[in-house]
Amino acid sequence: MVNTKESVESFIDTMPEDYKSEYKRYQRVMNILTREPEPEVGQTPKEVIWTKNKAKLYRYQPNKQKTKKVPILMIYALINKPYILDLAPGSSLIEYLTDRGHDVYLLDWGTPGHEDRHMKFDDYVMDYIPRAIKKVLKKSEQDEISILGYCIGGTLTSIAAALHPNLPIRNLVFMTSPFDFSNAGLFSNWLDERYFNLDLMVDTLGNIPAETIDFGNKLLKPITNYFGPYVALANRADDDEFVKNWSLLQKWVEDGVPFPGEAYRQWIREFYQQNKLINDELYIRGQQVKLSNITANVLNIAADRDHIAIPQQTEKLMDKISSKDKTYKLVSAGHVSVTVGKRAPTTTYPLIEEWLTKRSN
Amino acid sequence: MTNSTMLDPLSLWKTMYEQTETNFSEAIHETLEKEEYAELLGQVQNGFLQYQDLIQKTADTYLKQMNIPTREEISSVASLIINLEEKVESLDESIDEAELNQKALQEIGKLKSSITRLDRKMNQILQALSTNKDQESPAVAPEKTTQENNKNN
Repeated sequence: MVNTKESVESFIDTMPEDYKSEYKRYQRVMNILTREPEPEVGQTPKEVIWTKNKAKLYRYQPNKQKTKKVPILMIYALINKPYILDLAPGSSLIEYLTDRGHDVYLLDWGTPGHEDRHMKFDDYVMDYIPRAIKKVLKKSEQDEISILGYCIGGTLTSIAAALHPNLPIRNLVFMTSPFDFSNAGLFSNWLDERYFNLDLMVDTLGNIPAETIDFGNKLLKPITNYFGPYVALANRADDDEFVKNWSLLQKWVEDGVPFPGEAYRQWIREFYQQNKLINDELYIRGQQVKLSNITANVLNIAADRDHIAIPQQTEKLMDKISSKDKTYKLVSAGHVSVTVGKRAPTTTYPLIEEWLTKRSN
Repeated sequence: MTNSTMLDPLSLWKTMYEQTETNFSEAIHETLEKEEYAELLGQVQNGFLQYQDLIQKTADTYLKQMNIPTREEISSVASLIINLEEKVESLDESIDEAELNQKALQEIGKLKSSITRLDRKMNQILQALSTNKDQESPAVAPEKTTQENNKNN
């Protein structure tokens, strides 16, 4: 019996060297896309210290010596999964911080089910975040805490900090978090209430599927987002390091979670369409959210190539808060590459670590 | 990076991508910015949601006829479990607070006994001082008398 693969390969062997190497590269691309197992993510050792519904509170490297006094609680967005903060050894903000003696915790919202479609921002801000803070303080046996909020996680953190001035929050780090929605780029156009049927969407779908959220984000730069990654892979398939990082990031991009229905309704209507937060018009369980109540030290990081939370959406916070010690930093990155990729470990990680270290003892 | 060859579909793709990206990105962006596009997106959304609604209703009717629980029914069971967990969570929170209060009470207790000890020591010091004063008093009195006598003289 003739083995087709062997026949093709023996035919390729007869061809000039250039063609042979092209064939091998093509083969490698096909293998990556179809055969290779998904890469391992979230490898920094951790323990679960608290759970509530689908949410889990992790403590990282519990057995590592903690030389920095104030613990750090990371609060992630309601879309995608938080392992982007611990993608792989050497490309992990969590690993970077724990290796330098910080006591790091992460609040993972988990994957909401159909039963969670009624969850609102109110629930996250009033029931989850304050409780998680208390659990961290108890576990770390400290009196003060630092919170790092990424993307929507930062917006949630700002609301929680504004509504609970009694919580002992010493430092706040916001990473590409939107606060002002007066100009949210293309989203402002697409989510126009005259055309975007928000209520029908939430009433029909319950939770908003991850694919729908992903579609919206990718549509911001359709050619770059839909074809760019595959062109880059085809071009650099011989570079093992590139392929490794590419696989990690692709796994994360395609590993989204649904957006809880009511929280989505609130997010689009009260933030994108009505821009209530920055104008002190947002009410959470009947309480007015005033960002001026924030007095903790603040590091606000924006990325210049961010199309999801554009810099002007993040910068506006600085005018509203009452913190005496506040820093706004615009880094050269995108919404995701601010935390992973080649540059993040030499730019974003040290920026956060050094800022926190100065304020953690 | 590998050099481009005639038989290289990947390089061809890359070239096509680069040309498309640079030439069309701006045009696409302009389209995406238009109000007409938002309107079109809204129409597509409505169509998609109507289709979803139809699928869901059909599936629900079928599942009910087959006597199989629907998504709604299963999620209501999950909600009951979540409510129960909520009660456990409340208890856990109460225990945490009680522990915190207990610690605070212990601290207050320790503080009280420290103050009591301090109080006792203060009393002892005061007592010792007054005893000392009493003992010193007769010796001081004649001295004063002598001084007064001298003044009188």
